[in-house]
Amino acid sequence: MSVLDQLNGSGIYLICGGIVLFIAIVCVVFLVRAWKAGKALGMDTVRMKRAITSSATFSLLPSVGILLGVLALSGSLGIPWPWLRLSVIGALHYETQVADAAAEQLGIRLGQDPMTTQAFATIALLMSACIMWGMILTTLFNKKYLKKLQGKDPAAKKIGGFGDLAMVAMFIGMVSAYLGSYIGGFVSGNGRFTFSGSWTPLLVAAVSALAMAGFTWLSEKKHWDWLDNFSIAGSMLLGMTAAVLVGH
Amino acid sequence: MEKQKNYEAYLKNTHRLGRAVSVLTLVMLLGAPFLIGRLLGTAPDLGAAARGFLSVGLVWTVSSIVEYLVYTPMLGAGGSYLAFITGNLINMKIPCAMNARELVDAKTGTAENEVISTLSIATSSLVTILVLAVGVLLMIPLRPVLESPTLQPAFANVVPALFGAMAYKYFRKDIRLAVVPLCCMSLLFMFVPALTSSTSFMIIPSGALAIGLSYLRWRKSRKGADQA
Repeated sequence: MSVLDQLNGSGIYLICGGIVLFIAIVCVVFLVRAWKAGKALGMDTVRMKRAITSSATFSLLPSVGILLGVLALSGSLGIPWPWLRLSVIGALHYETQVADAAAEQLGIRLGQDPMTTQAFATIALLMSACIMWGMILTTLFNKKYLKKLQGKDPAAKKIGGFGDLAMVAMFIGMVSAYLGSYIGGFVSGNGRFTFSGSWTPLLVAAVSALAMAGFTWLSEKKHWDWLDNFSIAGSMLLGMTAAVLVGH
Repeated sequence: MEKQKNYEAYLKNTHRLGRAVSVLTLVMLLGAPFLIGRLLGTAPDLGAAARGFLSVGLVWTVSSIVEYLVYTPMLGAGGSYLAFITGNLINMKIPCAMNARELVDAKTGTAENEVISTLSIATSSLVTILVLAVGVLLMIPLRPVLESPTLQPAFANVVPALFGAMAYKYFRKDIRLAVVPLCCMSLLFMFVPALTSSTSFMIIPSGALAIGLSYLRWRKSRKGADQA
């Protein structure tokens, strides 16, 4: 039985499905409590229903986009784990990058080298650990933080200044490191400045970036706003298709 | 008066429930890799996980702190507990909650906003869970196709595909800022090709360089604004 077969085993489906089910129950509990609280406050039930309906329709397309993310990760991590990660807490760009970093620490290349069971367990642990801060912060500080904000200007205004710019800069730095490695890999991968390294990652990144540019153009200029929901996953799938076409 | 009392009791219980559920989810998510490892007859390599955490974990820690500080006031108590458990904040939960709030004209910090945000994020999460569950069920019969050798180059290039898309998304926000770290990193990898096996570690100097340059420019623009 291959490692991928093991990763798609019923036991793993059961573990991941159990956690997804737990989160679904939590959502239902929060939904019912909020509905009852709204009624007790005298809120119009028509408006509350409208909020629910609009949120459901709003989430439908992005959810299909997230499903494409499960598809993208399923080739290296099996189906159940990406299903859990993208149903709960995760986001496609985060999961892929952390999985790759964990694989790197284990001396394997995600999707290229054969996956081992220990590599999978380590990757899964790192994926869970790196994104837990939001939950930890809400658990520790939510009550105090929200209390502090009451009657004051939203803190977002104070943090807004450099916080947003720092986040953009951080992602630019992260992307630069990866693109730099693809350029360096092609130029010096088989000996310094021989220009004989693998060019597939560069091609895939370029196709993916071009596809993203196309999606953004359609969304911004043609006002196909719904396309935004598929832009990252769609661009990735087109980039990956380019790799299949060149066969590397 | 009665309504206010009921609402305060609701908020108090929301915090209690939210904290308990967050801790339980954390335990389950951190425990699952060990449980799965046991099922597969192995265990996670903690040393490698720690090294991976030092490289990428720090980046996501900063990102999580900023997200928490910025989004919690918009989402309220119930909404923020749920949003940080279910994820996909920027690409779905935040715009979804903002859209619902605008539709019913709820103002930040009000009881109405608290209720609407929670309803919106709970609904959104349930829709995602449902769509993914149905999708996964349909995906199972497709497994032989997904695992065919023809498709393997696609799965071997998931990461370049991601970073190509992200490059367009983030570089266009500040192309001038992107030039310096991209050139520095490319040159570094050309001169020291062995570093390609430690790309995730190189995020730290690259990110620090970009943040440092961005900070210098921000400070300069603030000084200019203050003088004006």
